Amino acid sequence: MKKLFLFFVLFVLAGASTLWAQTKVITGTVTSATEGDGAVPGVSVFVKGTTIATSTDVEGSYSLTVPEDAEILVFSFIGMKQQEVNISGRSVVNCVMESDVVGLNEVVVTALGIKREKREITYQTQKVDNSELAAAQPTRAGSALAGKVAGLQINVQDNSVNPTTQIILRGLRSISSDNQALVVIDGVIASLGAFDDLNPNDIADLSILKGATAAALYGSNAANGAIIVSTKKGQAGEKITIGLISSYTAEKVAYMPDFQTEYGTGWEGAYDAVENTNWGPRFDGTLRQIGPTWPDGTYQAVPYAPVKDNLLGFFNTGHNFNNTFYLSGSHETSKFYVSIGDQRATGIVPDDTYKRNTVRVNASKKVGNVELSLNSSFFKDETDVVGGSIGDQDLPLYWFLLNTSANIPLSRYANWQTDLYATPDGYYNAYYQNPYWAVGTNRDNQKSNRVNGNVQASWDPLNWLNVTARIGTNTLWSSGKDWRAAQSYDPDLQPSTAAVSSFVEDTESQSSEIIEDLLVTGTFEFSNFSLKAILGGANYNYIYRYSRIRADNLSIPGFYDISNGTGTPTVEADASQEVNFGFFGDFTLGYGDFVFLNFSGRNDWTSTLAKGNNNYFYPGVGISFVITDAIDALKNNNVLSFAKVTASNSTVYNDLSPYRINETYSKHEAFPYGPVNGFVLSSTTVDANIKKEKLNTTEIGLNVGLLQSRIMLDASYFMTTTTDLITNTTPSVSSGSTAFLTNIGKLQGKGIEVSLGGSIIKARDFIWDLSVNYSSSETIVREIYQGLDEVAVGTWAQYGVYAIVDMPYPQMKANTYVRDPQGRLVVDPATGYPRTNAALSALGRTTPKHIVGLNTSMKFFGIAVSTTIDYRTGHVFYAQGQDAMEFTGRSMASVSANRQDFVIPNSVIQTGENTYVPNTNIPVQNGRQSYWTDTYNDVKENYVIDATAFKIRELAVSYTLPSAILSKTPLQKVSVGFIARNLLTLLPAENAFSDPEFNNSTSNNNTIGVGGYFQMPPTRSFGVNLNIEF
Amino acid sequence: MKSIIKFAIVLTVFGLLVSCDDYLDVNVDPNNPTSVTPDLVLPVGQYYTAQYQQDDRGVSHLGNMIMVNWSQSDGFSWYSDEFKYNVTSSFYSRIFNNTYANTLKQYQILNNLEDPKYDNYRAIARIMKAYHYQQLVDCYGDVPYSEALGRSQEATPKYDDAQEIYEDLIVQLTEAINIIKNASDAEVPGADDAIFNGNMTNWIKFANTLKVRILTRQSDITGRDAYIQAELAAIASEGDGYITTDVGVNPGYIPLNTGKQNPMWNTLGTDEGGTKTNSNNATCATAYVLNFLTTTDDPRIDYLYEKPTTGHLGVPQGLLDYDTPVADQYMPDQVSNIGPGILKAADMDAIIFTLAEHFFNLAELREKNLITTGASSQSLYESGIEASFLYLGLDEAEAEDYYTNAQSLVGWNSSANKIEAIITQKWIATNGLTAEQSWFDYSRTGYPSGLPLPDNYNTTTERPVRLFYPAGEYSSNGDNVPAQPNAFTAKIFWAN
Repeated sequence: MKKLFLFFVLFVLAGASTLWAQTKVITGTVTSATEGDGAVPGVSVFVKGTTIATSTDVEGSYSLTVPEDAEILVFSFIGMKQQEVNISGRSVVNCVMESDVVGLNEVVVTALGIKREKREITYQTQKVDNSELAAAQPTRAGSALAGKVAGLQINVQDNSVNPTTQIILRGLRSISSDNQALVVIDGVIASLGAFDDLNPNDIADLSILKGATAAALYGSNAANGAIIVSTKKGQAGEKITIGLISSYTAEKVAYMPDFQTEYGTGWEGAYDAVENTNWGPRFDGTLRQIGPTWPDGTYQAVPYAPVKDNLLGFFNTGHNFNNTFYLSGSHETSKFYVSIGDQRATGIVPDDTYKRNTVRVNASKKVGNVELSLNSSFFKDETDVVGGSIGDQDLPLYWFLLNTSANIPLSRYANWQTDLYATPDGYYNAYYQNPYWAVGTNRDNQKSNRVNGNVQASWDPLNWLNVTARIGTNTLWSSGKDWRAAQSYDPDLQPSTAAVSSFVEDTESQSSEIIEDLLVTGTFEFSNFSLKAILGGANYNYIYRYSRIRADNLSIPGFYDISNGTGTPTVEADASQEVNFGFFGDFTLGYGDFVFLNFSGRNDWTSTLAKGNNNYFYPGVGISFVITDAIDALKNNNVLSFAKVTASNSTVYNDLSPYRINETYSKHEAFPYGPVNGFVLSSTTVDANIKKEKLNTTEIGLNVGLLQSRIMLDASYFMTTTTDLITNTTPSVSSGSTAFLTNIGKLQGKGIEVSLGGSIIKARDFIWDLSVNYSSSETIVREIYQGLDEVAVGTWAQYGVYAIVDMPYPQMKANTYVRDPQGRLVVDPATGYPRTNAALSALGRTTPKHIVGLNTSMKFFGIAVSTTIDYRTGHVFYAQGQDAMEFTGRSMASVSANRQDFVIPNSVIQTGENTYVPNTNIPVQNGRQSYWTDTYNDVKENYVIDATAFKIRELAVSYTLPSAILSKTPLQKVSVGFIARNLLTLLPAENAFSDPEFNNSTSNNNTIGVGGYFQMPPTRSFGVNLNIEF
Repeated sequence: MKSIIKFAIVLTVFGLLVSCDDYLDVNVDPNNPTSVTPDLVLPVGQYYTAQYQQDDRGVSHLGNMIMVNWSQSDGFSWYSDEFKYNVTSSFYSRIFNNTYANTLKQYQILNNLEDPKYDNYRAIARIMKAYHYQQLVDCYGDVPYSEALGRSQEATPKYDDAQEIYEDLIVQLTEAINIIKNASDAEVPGADDAIFNGNMTNWIKFANTLKVRILTRQSDITGRDAYIQAELAAIASEGDGYITTDVGVNPGYIPLNTGKQNPMWNTLGTDEGGTKTNSNNATCATAYVLNFLTTTDDPRIDYLYEKPTTGHLGVPQGLLDYDTPVADQYMPDQVSNIGPGILKAADMDAIIFTLAEHFFNLAELREKNLITTGASSQSLYESGIEASFLYLGLDEAEAEDYYTNAQSLVGWNSSANKIEAIITQKWIATNGLTAEQSWFDYSRTGYPSGLPLPDNYNTTTERPVRLFYPAGEYSSNGDNVPAQPNAFTAKIFWAN
C-alpha cells in the first residue's frame, strides 16, 4: 500500500510541474534520404518523453509547440530509422530520414559468442529480448520462452515451488542421448540448471540457434541446438542507472481432475467407514460414521454426501515475492551491470517454501586495444517441500489426496496433532494417512549454491585481427536432507494401517565445469570479397561428486541425524570426470555483401571413448544469399524490403558419458554380510566397439521483409538423420542383461518452422504488434537393429514409451481392446468383459506434431499489453493419475454405468473367424466394482489420451509514466503492471486429469508423455509488478 | 596477403601448444571395478536364488496362490490377478526376468571362469544353473538355454526344447560332480558359499538330489523308464548320496537391517523396522486348506498358519464381499496369516529345497518301481512327513502320531492311491516354502484332488499349467520366442 501511495504522490507532482512550464514553437520539414523520394508526409514528431506531438503534412512540414525546456525531438515513421534531434536553442529543425531495412543488419550472437550480422548467417536463429522474456515476470527464464520461439518446445514438468523445465528444439533426434538444447551463457557452455538459476531480469537477450549447424562449433554438445544467453552488461554512453523491479504473484490451483460425486466411502457397494475408495452405496445424505470407533463408543459422523471441492480445499494460495535491485552504467572505457535478486515463495502445498538469492556482477574495461571483461553470477537457493516417499508404501503426497473419498471434508483435518479426528489414530482413512500429517512428518530440504561466470580478454593487435581468450566455470554445490518421522498406530483404532518407519537421508553433490576457449579472428577485404576466418581451440573439463547416506528406524523421534539410525546405514558415493578438447575453424567468404559461404570444422578428442576411437571431425557448410541486394531490380522495393535464403548442412556427434564403455561390477546393496562382500555385474552389457552417435542436419531457410519490413516472415525446413545411435537396446533378458549399449539404427527427423510477425497498427500513440509462429516436426525411426523392431525408452506394466521402426518417435504403447473391423469392442460371451490384445499397440506420438505460438503486444500511450498463447496438438500422453483414480472409484468412468452390470455400448460377440454380431444382452459381470477395478483398469488404452492443450501462458499489462512527468523528480522511469501466468488452459474433454506437459521423468531422459500423481494439480498466477529507475 | 600469412603462423603456433597423450586418460570408473574374484560373485547369486524363491511374489508365492494355500484378508486388493488366473505377459514375469537377468547372470560369471583354481566355483555355478533352468522349464516350457547368458555376444538367444534342456541338465550336473571330484588343487569356497559353506561333498549330494527331482518329474512320460533307471543307477554308482537336511541360503541374514533380513521375512513378515508388512497382513490361509488340515488332524496347522485368538479362520480365494454376513469378519487380525513354522525368524535360512520333498520324490520313484532297492516307499513317505514336521518345529513323535492316523492321504496303509497320498503330502510339506513344486505336481498328476477354484473371477474351469513368456521377449527376441501358448491347456512336456 505504501508503494502505491508514493506512486500517486509522484504522479500528482509530476503532472503539476508540466502544467506550469513555458512554451516555444518549432517548425521544419522532413525529407527522405533516398534519392528522388523527397518530402515524407505522416511522420510522427514528438518531444521525447512526452505526449506533445504532431505529424508532418503532405509537404513534409510540421509545426509543434513545445515546452521551453524541451531538449529532444523524435521523428518516427514506419520503415525508417527513428531519429532524435537536439532542439535546444533552435526553432527550425529539419530532418533527413533513412530507410530502415530491419532484420539484415541486426547483430546476432552466435556460437562461442561470435557476433555476426544477420545477413551473413547461413542458418536460422531467433532472438528473444528481455522485454519479451520478462514481461510477465517469470521466476524461470525457460518457462517464459514457451510459445515465443518457433520450433522450441518448453515443458514445465511440474509446478512445485522450484519447478523443472525441459527445453527441446525441433523435436527429438536421439533415443538414449539427451535431447535438451545446449545452454550458453555469455559465450561459455553452461547447463540447463544454470539457465534456470539465472535471474530472468538479468538477461539482456537470448538467441535461439535452432539447428545443429548453428551450434556445430560446440562439437558434441551442439546436436540439439543452443540457447545463447547474453546477460545485461551496461550500455556505452549510459549514465548510472539504479533500478528496482518488484513483483508479487499469487498462485492458485487452476483446476482439479474431474471427480465423480455420486458414490462415497466403501467397497463392493457396501459402506465402509475406513475406506480410501469410493465403492460404497450411492450418496443419500444420511449421517454416517467415518473412521474408527473410540473405546467410549463415540465416533465421527459426517453426511454421506459429496463435499464440494473436498480436495481443492487442501491447497493454499501460493505467494511469490520477487525483487531485483540493479545498478548499471558506463564510463569512457568501462561498463558494468550489478544486480541483486531475491525471490521468496510459498507453494500451494501447505508448508512448501522456496527462497533464492542471485547476485550478478558484469564488468568490462578497455585497456589500450585489450578489452577485459567479467561476467559472473552467484546463486543460492533453499527448497523446503513435503517429502516424496510418504507412508509405508513410499508414495507421493498427491496420492494421499486422490485416495480421500468424495464425502470426506478433508480441509477440516489440518490440525493433525491436536484435532482428534485428524490425528494418526483418529483419521478416517485406514490405508492412506491424513495429507496434513504427511506434510508435517515428511520433509525434503535442498540447498544449492552456484557460481557461473567467465573472464575474458579480447585483444585487437591489428585492425583485422582479434584474439579472444576466455575461461569460464559453472560450479554447483548442493546438499539435501530428506526425512520421515515414524508413526505407529493403536491396533484397536487402526487395525489395518501399517506403521510407518522413519529415516533420514543426507545427500551432497558437487559438479564443476571448467571451460577454456581461445579464438583468433581475422577479417579481410579484397575488393568485392570479404573473408572472416576464425580459428580456435576449446577445452572442457567436468567433475562430479555425489554422496548419499541414509539411516533408517531412528532411535530418538524428531532428531534427524545419521547417527540416530539403527541397523547399517546405506551409503553411496560416486564420482566422475570427463575431459574433452577440440580445435575448430570457421570461414565465411562474402561477395558483394549479398552472398556468403560458410565452412566450418571442428575436431574433438574425448575421454569417454576408447583410445583410437575417440576423435571426431564435425564439418559444416552453409550459404546465405540476400536476393534483394543481389538483384538490382529488387533493390529499394517498397513491397519486398528484403529477402534472404539460406542453406546449410552439418554433421555433429553425440558423445557418451564417462565410464560407460566398460562393463563394471557394483557392490550389491544388501552386502556385506559380516566379512562376506558381494558384487553384481552391471545389468547393461556394452558393445566393445561403441562409438559416437552421428547426426547430419540439412536446413533451408527463408527470411523475408515486406512493406518496409513492417511484416517479417521467417521460414525454415530441416532434415536430420541420426545414425549409429548410442542406445540402450533391450536384448532378450535371457542374454543375462537387460540393456545392451550399442550403436544402432537410423532416425530421420524433418520439420518446418514459420514465424510471421509484424505491426498491424503503427501509429505514434498506438502500436499493435502481432507474431505467430508455427512449427511441426516429426522423427521417424527407420531402422533399429537386426531382429529388433523397437526399443523401450521407459516401460510400466502394460504401457510404455518406445522407439518403433517406421513410426514417429517417441511412441506410446499400451494394451488395447480387441476390436472388430468396424472398431466395435469384442466382448467375451461368458463374462461380458471386453477382450484385450495380449501385445501392446502403438497409440501415438508423445511430442506435439503441431505447435502454434501467438504473441501480441499493444502499446497505447504508456500502456502496454502483451499476451503469449500457445497451442500444441497431435500427440498423446498417459494419464497415470486417471489410471490411479479408477481403483479408488473416484473417476468419472466408474460411474458411467451407474455401478450396475451393463452391456458395453457398441460391443460385439465374435461368432466366427471374421463374423461378429452385436452384443445386446450380455452384461459385464461385477459392474458394481470389480469390472472397473480389475478389468477396465487393466486396459491401459483407457488412459492414453489426447495431449492437446491451448494455453494463455502470459498476460502482462503495464503502464509507464511519461518521462515528462518524471523530469522534475529523480526518477527516470516508473512503470507498474498487472501480470498473469497460465491464465487459461483448454483441454480436450477426454483429458479429465491434468496438464499434459507434466512429466514423471523430470530427469533428462526421453520418457516423454507419462504424467501422473507425482505432480500437484496445475496452477495459475496473478500478480502485480513495479519497475523504478533512478 | 601478408596478413593471411601472419594469421597462419599464429594458428600453427597455437596448434602446437596442445598435444599431451594421457590428458584424456580419465575414463576409469573410480566407483566400480571391472573385474572381481569369484568369492564376491557367488554369494550374490545365492542371495538372488533365495530372494526370488521366497520373497513377496516370488516363485513359492505363486505356488501358494495357485495351490490354494494362501488367500487375501479384508482391506486389501492384493491378489486379484492371482485369483483371476490373469496369466498375461506381465503375470509373474519376474520369475523369467529376474532369474536370467540377475541370478543366472551371476552364476554364468562363475561358469565362464577358465582358471582351474576356480573349479569348485565353476561346479557350484553349474549346479545352481541346473536348479534354476529346471524351474524355468517347469514354468515356461521351452526357454533360452544353449545360447542364453551371452550378454553382448548374443542379444537374441534361441529357445531350446524343454525336454532337451532337461536332458542336458542331468549331463551338466554329472559334469559338475566330476569337476568337484577332480578339483583337489582348486580353491574351496568358505563363508562366501551361503548354501553349504564350502562343503563340496554337500554340493555333490545336492547335485544328486536335483537329479532325482528332474527324473521324478519325468516319471509319468511313457517310455521314459529306461532313461530314468539308467540315470538313477548312475547316481547310485557315484555313491555320495543325497542331502540329509533342508537346503537353504543364509549369507548371514541380519534382523532389523535394511535389505539384510531373510527375504521372505522381510517382505511377508516384518520389515527392517520390525513393523508387519502390508503383505503380511494381506496374506492368510484359505478356508479350504484350513479345513483340510483340520479334518486330517494335522498339527502342522498351527505352524503353517498363525492362530488368531478367535481361532483359525481362512478366506475363500476370490471373495468379493468380505462383510457379509458379518462386517469385518476377515480383518487381518481375525484370519490365519502365515504361520510361525514358515516365518520363523528374520535370520532364518531361505529354503530353496526341502528335505521332505526329496523323500517324497524318492517315494514316488520307489512306488513306481523306478527304484527297486533301499527304503520302502512307505518308509520314504513317512520320512517325508517327518522331515516336514521337523522343519516346522514339531517332533518325530508328533509326526508318527500323524502318519499312523488311519485316514486316507495320511496313513500309508489307509491310502488307496499311494501316488495321490505322496503328492498330497508333498503339497502340505511344500506349503509356504517351495509351493511351486506342488503346482508342477498338480499339472502332472492332478493331485491333490478337490482343490477349489477361486470364487467369482473365473470363466475357466482349469488351473494354469504354465506362465506366459514376458512381453519383453516379444519385443526384444521376437524371432525366437514361441507364440504364447495356452496357459491352461498347453502342459509342460512332463505332464503330457
